[in-house]
Amino acid sequence: MRAEQWMRVAVMCVLCVAVFAGCRSKKNVATNGDVLAPTDVAQGDVAMQGQRFGEGQRITDPEAQIETVKFAYDSYSVEKGEMAKVEKAAAFLKKYPEVHLVAEGNCDERGSNEYNMTLGEQRALAVRACLVGMGVDGTRIQTRSFGEEKPANPAHNDAAWAENRRVEFAFFR
Amino acid sequence: MKRMMAGVLIGLVASVVMGQQVDVRIVKQGSLRKGISVDGLAASGGMASLFRKTLEGDLGRSGYFEIVPSGRGMVSVAGNCQDLGGSLSLVCQVRGVADNRVYLEKNTRQASDTARYQAHILADEIIKAVLGKTGLSGTRIVFIGNIGGRKNLYVCDADGQGVQQITRDGVPCLAPAWGRDARTVFYTSFVGGYPDLYRINLGNYSRTRLLSFPGVNVGAAISPDGGRLALTLSKDGNPDIYVVDASSRQTTRVTRTPTCAEASPSWSPNGQQLVYVSNKARLPHLYIASASGGPERRLTYQGSENVEPDWGSDGRIVYSSKRGGRYQLCLATTGGEGEQLTSDGYDHEDPSWAPDNRHVVYTKTGGYQSSLYVFDTEEKTEVKLTGLGGNCYSASWSPR
Repeated sequence: MRAEQWMRVAVMCVLCVAVFAGCRSKKNVATNGDVLAPTDVAQGDVAMQGQRFGEGQRITDPEAQIETVKFAYDSYSVEKGEMAKVEKAAAFLKKYPEVHLVAEGNCDERGSNEYNMTLGEQRALAVRACLVGMGVDGTRIQTRSFGEEKPANPAHNDAAWAENRRVEFAFFR
Repeated sequence: MKRMMAGVLIGLVASVVMGQQVDVRIVKQGSLRKGISVDGLAASGGMASLFRKTLEGDLGRSGYFEIVPSGRGMVSVAGNCQDLGGSLSLVCQVRGVADNRVYLEKNTRQASDTARYQAHILADEIIKAVLGKTGLSGTRIVFIGNIGGRKNLYVCDADGQGVQQITRDGVPCLAPAWGRDARTVFYTSFVGGYPDLYRINLGNYSRTRLLSFPGVNVGAAISPDGGRLALTLSKDGNPDIYVVDASSRQTTRVTRTPTCAEASPSWSPNGQQLVYVSNKARLPHLYIASASGGPERRLTYQGSENVEPDWGSDGRIVYSSKRGGRYQLCLATTGGEGEQLTSDGYDHEDPSWAPDNRHVVYTKTGGYQSSLYVFDTEEKTEVKLTGLGGNCYSASWSPR
């Protein structure tokens, strides 16, 4: 009897672990490399709010100074090594429910200005999708792409370009 | 080279045989420029000289004429242009050299500060009277100028002169495009903090914000009938092509691609299709779809990137293709990719057709310096648009 009970408990434990592990990986699983496509996040293809939300006050506290997410050339995949930054942003948003985020996408100077506006936007949307996948309400996050118009580093070399391919976290209250 | 030599030989023989000094310059494609002389037009005074210089430039730049000394060529412009202080007097005749036929005559007195404008008008009148063609001299080009990091909209004449600064806010702006007349420009500006679509009236410089959806509002192109705008919006979660009704502002979604971005739409001449850029195949390529939505067809396969299409009114699409690490100008039709127009070691981007369907204004970049050039698709030559300072790019050629 006792052995049976223990067996049952053990099986339940294994099942629970399996179920929870499955849930966790389902939320964070990437279909396109390391990025979460908007259709894969919990709320599906979440349209942004009908109105652009008024920005309110930009939060400049040290806690809100989260490192920018960097991207590979011509890519909008959030790479594994960058995910920790996104997790920090998610934690910040969960800690302060009144805060909303504008994810700002940027590109390096190479290529079409117009195409880079959309690539920057895809980068911002990818970060947004990750955050939604981590449990943040999508209506709290909007995007702003600067394309190649707002470089962090104006130099014309690989190091500068790598710095410019980024998403910045702009939190507002 | 051989063909050119043969052409020159034929030309020489022909001129000997015809017993006249008919100067005809044979260029690569076998297209013939007609010789025209303008030095028979006496010019006294600063504005008169400017008038004649502008006229010569317009006639040569049209691609139809070559400036030759008087006594030669097919057509002569002769007479007297005088700068009388506040006014410019113009008395001239445009005649055929061989038959002395009068194509047109002018006898005007107008404000001298309109000298260049008057020259543009006369150049187009000569092209119309002699050749029956519609010239470009009176058209204009809108572009972005980056001077010391400040980006603004500028407009200049088709010859690069007469530069006017349209905006002064100096904030990032992009993708200017003309409306159906030569007085309205649509463009995307960050003046409100976000990439929103604006319309500027060049007459009174008034600016109206048209679209400010969340996300991007970029790359507007007006339909041939002026009733609709195509552009990229990302308000529904992803950058896609939308068509917006110009009066009702109602939006129709054209592409539905949840994981890829579309940009840079351009209308077909009949207003029923759009060519645009998509990164569906990971790197950007050109696709064509119906403007009301529906299945898309991939157009480009060559080069590592294909961007910035402009669909001309004769059906040819000019675009920028990255080949061997450099962006080159290329042509295509709905039937597929066509010839590569440029091949030097510079980047050639953002092409825009002139309304003559022959010339293309584009951005040439070398060493991170960008200038505007005009490419002649017939003669395969190019001319730099001078008179512009700083870094200039994203040019769009006005309708007539």
